[in-house]
This record gives sequence, C-alpha cells and structure tokens, in this order.
Amino acid sequence: MVHQYKNNGYNIVLDVNSGAIHVVDDLVYDVIALLCENASLDVSQYISDRTFENDLNNHLKGHYSREEIKEAIRDIKELVEDESLFTKDIYQEYIMDFKKRKTVVKALCLHIAHDCNLACKYCFAEEGEYHGKRAIMSYEVGKKALDFLIANSGNRKNLEVDFFGGEPLMNWQVVKDLVIYGREQEVIHDKKFRFTLTTNGVLLNEDILEFANQEMSNIVLSIDGRPEVHDYMRPFRNGKGSYELIIPKFIKTAERRNQTNYYVRGTFTHHNLDFSNDVLHLADLGFKQISVEPVVSADEEEYAIKKEDIPQIYEEYDKLAKEMIRREKEGNGFNFFHFMIDLEGGPCVAKRLSGCGSGTEYLAVTPWGDLYPCHQFVGEEGFLMGNVEEGVINTEIRDEFKLCNVYAKDKCKNCFARFYCSGGCAANSYKFHGSITDAYDVGCELQRKRIECAIMIKAALAE
Amino acid sequence: MKHIKTLNTKNLKNTMKKGGCGECQTSCQSACKTSCTVGNQSCENK
Repeated sequence: MVHQYKNNGYNIVLDVNSGAIHVVDDLVYDVIALLCENASLDVSQYISDRTFENDLNNHLKGHYSREEIKEAIRDIKELVEDESLFTKDIYQEYIMDFKKRKTVVKALCLHIAHDCNLACKYCFAEEGEYHGKRAIMSYEVGKKALDFLIANSGNRKNLEVDFFGGEPLMNWQVVKDLVIYGREQEVIHDKKFRFTLTTNGVLLNEDILEFANQEMSNIVLSIDGRPEVHDYMRPFRNGKGSYELIIPKFIKTAERRNQTNYYVRGTFTHHNLDFSNDVLHLADLGFKQISVEPVVSADEEEYAIKKEDIPQIYEEYDKLAKEMIRREKEGNGFNFFHFMIDLEGGPCVAKRLSGCGSGTEYLAVTPWGDLYPCHQFVGEEGFLMGNVEEGVINTEIRDEFKLCNVYAKDKCKNCFARFYCSGGCAANSYKFHGSITDAYDVGCELQRKRIECAIMIKAALAE
Repeated sequence: MKHIKTLNTKNLKNTMKKGGCGECQTSCQSACKTSCTVGNQSCENK
C-alpha cells in the first residue's frame, strides 16, 4: 500500500508496509499515482509491461521528456526491488499470534481522586466523579494496586504508574506515600517504576514541585492555551477562570524540569477551532513540550467537534506545521506532541499494530480498587474487570481487548495511518459505535492529517 | 537518485525479529489520554 500527498510544496510518498518515506518530484509523483490506480496488479510485472508504457503516455500527456521518464522509472524500480515501495502487508498472522500471547500488566492509571477543584465543561470524568460519587483513593488501596502490578508484570522491568484523577493533588499525601512504597518495592522485585502525574495545577506548590521533580518521570500540566479559551472551558466551580492562578506555576515547573519530561496539555473544542493560536500562545510563553488535542465528545454537546469543522482544523494543522518549521529553523523550535514522529528509531511493528494495550497491559484503578480496561471506561459497569485484591476476574473482557488490534478493525484495513495510531482509541470507538473494534471517524480524519503534517515537517527540516 | 529523496531507511519488516518486548511506554501514559499515538514513541530495545 502506498499513500502519497502534497503538502507545503512537498510531494510525499509513504510506503505504508515498510514505513519508508520518500520525497519525490512531480514526475515520480505522477507515475506513482498511475501505479496506485493499478495497485491490484503485481507492480513489478506491470511496470515492465507494454500496457504500462501506453497507460503512462496517456497519463503524463507529454509533460515530460522520454529521458526523464526513463530515469524516473529506473528510480521507482530500484525502490520496489529494495522493498521500500509497494511492499506487501505481511504482518497479519504475526500480529494475531503476538496478541494471543500471555500478556502481563505493565501500566496502571491510578484514579487517586474522583474529585476535582475545577469544573471543566468537557471533562469525560464529569468534574472528576466518573458517573459516581466523589471519592479518594486510600493508601491501602494504592499499595494493593502497586502489589497487583508487580505480581502481574512477569519479566517486564519497566512499570508505569500514572497518578490521575479527577485531580490527584487533592490526595497528594497518598501520592507521596505510594511513590515511597513503590521505590522500596522496586528494589525488592528488581523493577523500575516510572511515575507520572497529570494535574490542573490549582494546588501545585513548592513542596509538591520539588517532590514531583525528583520522582515523576513525566508531568502533564493541563492548560488549554489563551486565557479566554482556557477560562471558558476550565473554570472553578464558582465560574471564575483558572488561567491566572496556574500559569506562573506551570512556567516554573517547565523551567525547573529544564524544559523536558513534561507536557503542557490542552484540549481544543468547537469554540477554538483556531487552536494553532493556543499552541503558539503556549510556545510564546516559553513552553517547549506542548500537546493540544481535539475534544472527544458526543455530537450534542455545544463544544463538540463536528464533521463540518474538519476543513478548518486541517487548515490550522497546516498553519501550525509551517510556523513550527519556521521557528525550528530560527533556533526557537518546540515539540508538538501530535506532530512528533520518530522515523528512524520508532517502535517495532508489533507495537505499531497491536493497539494501546488497554484491558491487558494497561488498566485503570478506581479509588476503591476496581479495575477497568482504561481510564475512559471507568464508570461503565459492563467493563468492570476485577479489583486489586482478586485481580482480573472478568477474563472475557480481557480477552476481547486482547484480540483488539489493527487487523480486527475493518476501517483500518485500507488506512495508511494504521502504523502510527495502532488502530486508534478503543474507548472512543466504543463511545461512538458501541464496539471496541470500530473507529471514531472524526478522530481518524484528524489523525491522518496530523501524520501528514508530521512527515512534511521532517521533509522540510531534512533540506 | 535524481527524482527521489528517501527520508528513512528503516524497514518495519526487520523489527519483527527482535520486536514485541513490551518494555516501551504505554501509549496513553505519555500525554494524550484521548487518542492513540504510537508513531512518536521510542523503542527501548535498540
């Protein structure tokens, strides 16, 4: 499978199955377009065929010289022989076998507090309460969660624990105690905990920052961008905006972490479809690690991103990509999470195609110790998998998630992006279609655009 | 090549041999929590 597109003056050809990416001139782009139209044929054979010559003459309409065309075809043939163009998908059986293997648990999302001091309008946790009552996790439950993780992690050395909420700083003492407990246990069991913290910053103070900078391998700081945008969606319960309170703390956090191993993370909605301005606002404040992501919500919500918003969002991504290239070349670049792509050292094909690991390697733990496939399923009683004392009891759910991968999803079969999104988010698929093996269509459209922009940026910076 | 510039030389097929160790970061733990992004993640088993 080949996907080719034009962006910002670059002709980009993506050989999906090998992962090879080529920047080509107009002639090669046009020839490949013809080959794509005939992709059901054996490309190596077709390219040496007389029909191809006739088809090509009709297709190129005399725009190029014979010599140029000959050269271009020689180049294309070389790539095909080198297995970096029109390569076959040979991974299905491998991934199916890979997914059937005995899995271990390697990551937990600990819902340290089902409570929040903000009342963000788009919160999937419903102001932290996840369709239930306010609750905080006790140290005892948290300890059992870490014990459960260690006991179910097999030979896996690196274990991840995200302190999530609601707002985890509302239960900070338990977070601290669990980190201390985890550090003791990792020595005993020869494991390495990577703790992360996701916070709205309201309660962030000097003591918390000092501890977090020592112990948290990543901190996610929630902020949406420009003050008016942030305050509209992220007010306190009394309606007052939270921007002014958190921004100096976030700037300090980023500086103290040497502008690395953190993200300022925002959500954009229908109300700020010009979100590139929010990303650039954060960049102008000096943040170097930025993630601003589309809200995922039911169409009925007034802030929901709808299908008709997609063209404007595409324009925004293009605008942002160009500005990022400009700043990078000036020595003032920053990372935008959804444009980050590792072309050389990225993940293996097993990782790329096997899904996010929710329900198998990654589980969410409620304040009272129940296990769910991930943080987004918490509160959906049909997805209750077990608890930290007894472990995974509902193995049917685990097995359903175990087989969830790119090849289990019809919508992914002909999508070039499947090696970059791993089949998308199971929770989003469930929310929109009632099945974890479907896909959230608007999300897919945006994902494809982001990948195109990310690759274009690489092409521009490689010049 | 005159008409083509290749940006990366890695072939995903080769990662089938040693891949799948699972030591890398869970995609949702990085920043998103609302989508699934793996293309930007690092391999810990180089």
